[in-house]
Amino acid sequence: MDKESVRIEFTVNNKEVALDIPADATALHVLREMLSLTGTKEGCGIGECGACTIVVDGKAVNSCLMLGAQLDGRMVTTVEGLATESGLHPLQEKFMEGHAVQCGFCTPGLLMSSHALLEEKENPTRAEIEKAIAGNICRCTGYQQVITSIETAVSERLDGENR
Amino acid sequence: MEQQFRVVGNSVPRSCSKAKVTGEIKFAADIKLDNSLVLKTKRSDQPHALIRSINVEKALAVEGVRSVFTARDIPGKNLLGIINKDQPLLAEDRVRSLADAVALVVADTEEAAERGAAAVEVEYQELEAVFDPVEALKEGAVQVHEKGNLLSCRKVVKGDVEAAFTSAYSVIEKEYTTSSIEHNYIEPDAGAGYVDENGCLVIYASTQNPHYDHKEVVGLLGVADDEVRIIQATTGGGFGSKLDLNVQGFIGLALYHLKCPVRYVYSREEAYLATAKRHPFVIRVKTATDKDGRFIALQMRAVCNTGAYGSYGMAVASRSAVHATGPYAIENVDVDVKCVYTNQTFCGAMRGFGAPQMALAHESQMDLHAQALGLDPLAIRRINGLRAGQTSATGQLLTASVGFQDCLDAVAPYYEDAKENWLSAPTDPFKRRGIGIGGMWYGIGNTGVQNPSTARVEMSPEGKVTVFTGCADIGQGSTTILAQITAEVLGLGHDDITMVVGDTGCTTNAGATSASRQTYISGNAVKDGAEKLANVLLTEAVDRLRAPKNSLHFVDGHVAVSIAPEIRVSVAKLAKRIHDKGGTLSWQGFFDPETVPLDPETGEGVPYATYAYACHMAQVEVDVLTGEVDVKRIVAAHDVGHALHPGNVVGQICGGVAMGVGFALMEEFEPGKTESMKDYHVPTVSDVPEVVPIIIESPEPSGPFGAKGVGEPALIPTAPAIINGISSALNKRIYDLPANLERVIEASIQAGHFRVQE
Repeated sequence: MDKESVRIEFTVNNKEVALDIPADATALHVLREMLSLTGTKEGCGIGECGACTIVVDGKAVNSCLMLGAQLDGRMVTTVEGLATESGLHPLQEKFMEGHAVQCGFCTPGLLMSSHALLEEKENPTRAEIEKAIAGNICRCTGYQQVITSIETAVSERLDGENR
Repeated sequence: MEQQFRVVGNSVPRSCSKAKVTGEIKFAADIKLDNSLVLKTKRSDQPHALIRSINVEKALAVEGVRSVFTARDIPGKNLLGIINKDQPLLAEDRVRSLADAVALVVADTEEAAERGAAAVEVEYQELEAVFDPVEALKEGAVQVHEKGNLLSCRKVVKGDVEAAFTSAYSVIEKEYTTSSIEHNYIEPDAGAGYVDENGCLVIYASTQNPHYDHKEVVGLLGVADDEVRIIQATTGGGFGSKLDLNVQGFIGLALYHLKCPVRYVYSREEAYLATAKRHPFVIRVKTATDKDGRFIALQMRAVCNTGAYGSYGMAVASRSAVHATGPYAIENVDVDVKCVYTNQTFCGAMRGFGAPQMALAHESQMDLHAQALGLDPLAIRRINGLRAGQTSATGQLLTASVGFQDCLDAVAPYYEDAKENWLSAPTDPFKRRGIGIGGMWYGIGNTGVQNPSTARVEMSPEGKVTVFTGCADIGQGSTTILAQITAEVLGLGHDDITMVVGDTGCTTNAGATSASRQTYISGNAVKDGAEKLANVLLTEAVDRLRAPKNSLHFVDGHVAVSIAPEIRVSVAKLAKRIHDKGGTLSWQGFFDPETVPLDPETGEGVPYATYAYACHMAQVEVDVLTGEVDVKRIVAAHDVGHALHPGNVVGQICGGVAMGVGFALMEEFEPGKTESMKDYHVPTVSDVPEVVPIIIESPEPSGPFGAKGVGEPALIPTAPAIINGISSALNKRIYDLPANLERVIEASIQAGHFRVQE
């Protein structure tokens, strides 16, 4: 029996894509298997670990819990879309400098959750940072260097604006 | 004068961190091989049964299924295990746990592979199963393996405990239990493979020990060494569980028969079901002190449940027995730790190898005695804490780098301040505060056995340095540290060193990434290779600079005369000269720590060449009505010898504390019940306290630039510190881990806190 397929058109990392996907495919499957955007990871498949976090229309979501069909008409950013031609995203730089990356498997999800927060709030509090990444499990770092790195990215951005 | 270092001791950027933040790096599941087939195993649905028959016809009839393999298709030896070989890749005549694989399905897609696995028909004859290790040791118990349920027993005996108990001022006997723990690395096990143009089976795997994987796959398939090549893919954490063969054997078997690319990515559920756990322990311990609080005797009888297979079980039992005393000098010791087979999911290595379980016992006993004698918890640890010049329970004289007292001293100001200013500060009437101390020691490397590492350090005629090492970096940062060590020896920058890591096709064996051994052991192996290379460069420089060899040193890519640094020659020129004369620029390094095997009856010996030490202080707030424990802060002092990369050390400490919080308060893997991450709670950012990491440097003379290790020590004192904090908050002790809501409420009720204070 042929599976039903759905045509979707959406923007991913500032590129417009149009493709036919199986109706039951998750957004994670579409990104990883059909678009080869393997920076987004599958850690549990049931929305518990946050490794698959992407940003959809400004909100951080677990792509394993989202249907691919729901991507239609949306603006999507994955970890591959964080850096620009002028260089790495400040969060990426601070994660590197602050030793917030150990094994790196949860890193894309943490970056996308914190990216969504920083797009929404100019000067988030520590509590807001913790809330933003509360759905991202990291088994290596214990989160402390992650939080510090996000805080540094925030404070350097504010310093830049006030200069 | 203190030695000055240029590269080690600096938190240089970690290898691969850029590729990790951009998402470019390829983990095993990200490796796409053209036309790759998908693997899936049919696992046992019986904890203990004889296999009457396996019928694969229906599975083969599923659309998209290419092949189904069973034990009969394994051409070599179908028996795995790093210490004792007792675990078949695919079950032959019986299954011993729910994790046992019975058949391997190869299909075009994940869905077809899953349908195929479901269609494999296995006819079982059910057998009685045993899950409790104490029951399994009783006469007449069901036998999990033919040779019996007792896998191993490690004894450590010194002095005369009975005499000491008779003369003691205070004797306390208690029983402690710890739970089975799932490692829950965020990357589920995965691998991919293909057959190269020479017919070699090339397997990319998420692993902590590529050279062991290689040996096992070669044995399984009955092929020559050069017919299998294991390449460590970027590995998303391991914590011990990726030391066993997980997907590697299945990929090898499929490649052997089908000669076409295959991949196998465990779902989280399969990683939970099929991979090793932390050994749960039952620990009965009796300790005695004199009237001043000095520990004079420790007697322990412990049983650890290794489940259906040994994996690292014997090592866990052995290490736990050696670590039973904790970092304390005790003259009379009688320890017996038994490792026992049952029909549970098998247990193997997990961060700490039995030492975290022991720490719950020795640190709780320490506080119980302090309470009995009216001593302060920190004071009793100072009285008993090991110092250089003292002897351990195995009779080992500790000569240097014994930094436990320094760790206590470092925590002391935080402890005094918390007692004075935090403990009694006003709080919610239903909340009670407590402060707990936890100490630990941890022997670096494997217990009383050889565990060498090798490495090759090579310079091109143009002066470019490459290090070839089998040392698997699983996220802890060993690749960065090995590059720093090489750069330090050769006067280069850490980023001048090209690292070739974890590929059995071109690197030699560095042993497992386990036992906190890679910085110390592989660090020394790399240093040895780099020093041999340095020696020929210096010799060549003597000829070129006309200066005595001992007057020369490496600086910024040159060899220079120490007192006249302007007299120098570039390393590249020296390399060219050596090369042109036919000299050798490729050097093999080697290190094997000096140990003496433990006596089977008394445990006497030198199990490790050096030990790491630590002390944690936990500040906890307990809600006496809900049982919720809020760990506010952990102050964590660690003697690491010399922190070659302080950023990495801090990362290990903070990560270890998080894992320790899980071990203390929430994590418990129940085979057959814990199926996915919805059933198992790993600490989130909301569960993790503020961590104050304190690095203590008591240099280890045999370590590379004085370094020891920190990976496992980071976790060990956290849980006992928290448990001691809860006990102090409630005036009621919890003896069983995890101290979850139910256990804390129970303790709160028993202590009479379930009422409003006037």
